[in-house]
Amino acid sequence: MNWLRANAMVLAMAGLVAMTAAPATAGVATDQLRGAVDRVLKTLEDPLLKGEAKVPDRRAAVRKIANEIFDFGEIAKRSLARHWQPLSETQRNEFVGLFADLLERSYISKIETYGGEKIQYTAERTDGDYATVSTKIITKNGTEVPVDYRMVKRGERWLVYDVSIEGVSLVSNYRTQFNKIIQTSSYSELVSKLRSKQDELLAEDKGQKKKL
Amino acid sequence: MKRSALDLGVGLFVLIGLLALGWMSVKLGRVDLLGNKGYVVSADFPTVGGLKAGSTIEIAGVEVGRVDRITLHDYQARVVMVIQPQVKLQEDSIASIKTKGLIGERYVRISPGGSEKLIPPNGRIREVEPPVDIEELLSKYIFGKV
Repeated sequence: MNWLRANAMVLAMAGLVAMTAAPATAGVATDQLRGAVDRVLKTLEDPLLKGEAKVPDRRAAVRKIANEIFDFGEIAKRSLARHWQPLSETQRNEFVGLFADLLERSYISKIETYGGEKIQYTAERTDGDYATVSTKIITKNGTEVPVDYRMVKRGERWLVYDVSIEGVSLVSNYRTQFNKIIQTSSYSELVSKLRSKQDELLAEDKGQKKKL
Repeated sequence: MKRSALDLGVGLFVLIGLLALGWMSVKLGRVDLLGNKGYVVSADFPTVGGLKAGSTIEIAGVEVGRVDRITLHDYQARVVMVIQPQVKLQEDSIASIKTKGLIGERYVRISPGGSEKLIPPNGRIREVEPPVDIEELLSKYIFGKV
């Protein structure tokens, strides 16, 4: 009789724990995303990293946080779509690096113009190992920009594999462009395009540094 | 005798005319006489903005299926599609609702992915892009909010 009661107690305890645990797990993706975003914003507002001279340090700090929340490998793979499969391991690694550089080039300057806009985390929809975290950026003149993050669970971490701004997907955008370049020229043409753009930018940065 | 030959001619002419009319109606009205053949996949969109049953589904500009029905599911629009059996959809395919021209009819464009896994019959396309309302976007970014 005693062990029956003990078992019932254990079950009841388990039930209680399960009930309190459930709300905690809903929103894990949002929590992890919010953590990373907050750290990026703090980095951008850090007085020690402000100013023209601190640009490379600031960008390196942002890039480090970005690598923790974005799965650049997955984003690159989805953007290349069916052109990813025939690539060798070396080519894939090369492409992921070039693509991450492209994204940084394209968006870091926009992120650096951050001036205290509010970010609201409006919803999270989970479907197994996939989640959509919906957010809104409230600009200074009141415009609300919907930004959705598509995330995938890898172990205990949720990583971003696509970002949709106003419903337009980043992966979809690059997928179309990469596909066009590969079909009209070749994959190596795409790689050299990305590489030359990166070289251009590095030359520009050096030029600016000389001026300083 | 002449009379009935004429009548026969006229009758035949009318018959051909009716058949031609019927054929045109079927073609223009896109009525599938033999029914939709293929497998069912669905995709959930936050909004479908004018997409309707019978709208086409395209990959690379080629029709690969039709929208069978659109239902409400958990406050999202579930678009149920019938895809031609020989067309395989990768797991990371993206379904976008686009417009023919700038203000034409809505259709679903599927961008093929690169995953080795395929979407099975009665499966779901996870990655979606809702339709973009150009006018709304323009006014939002030109004028800002009150």
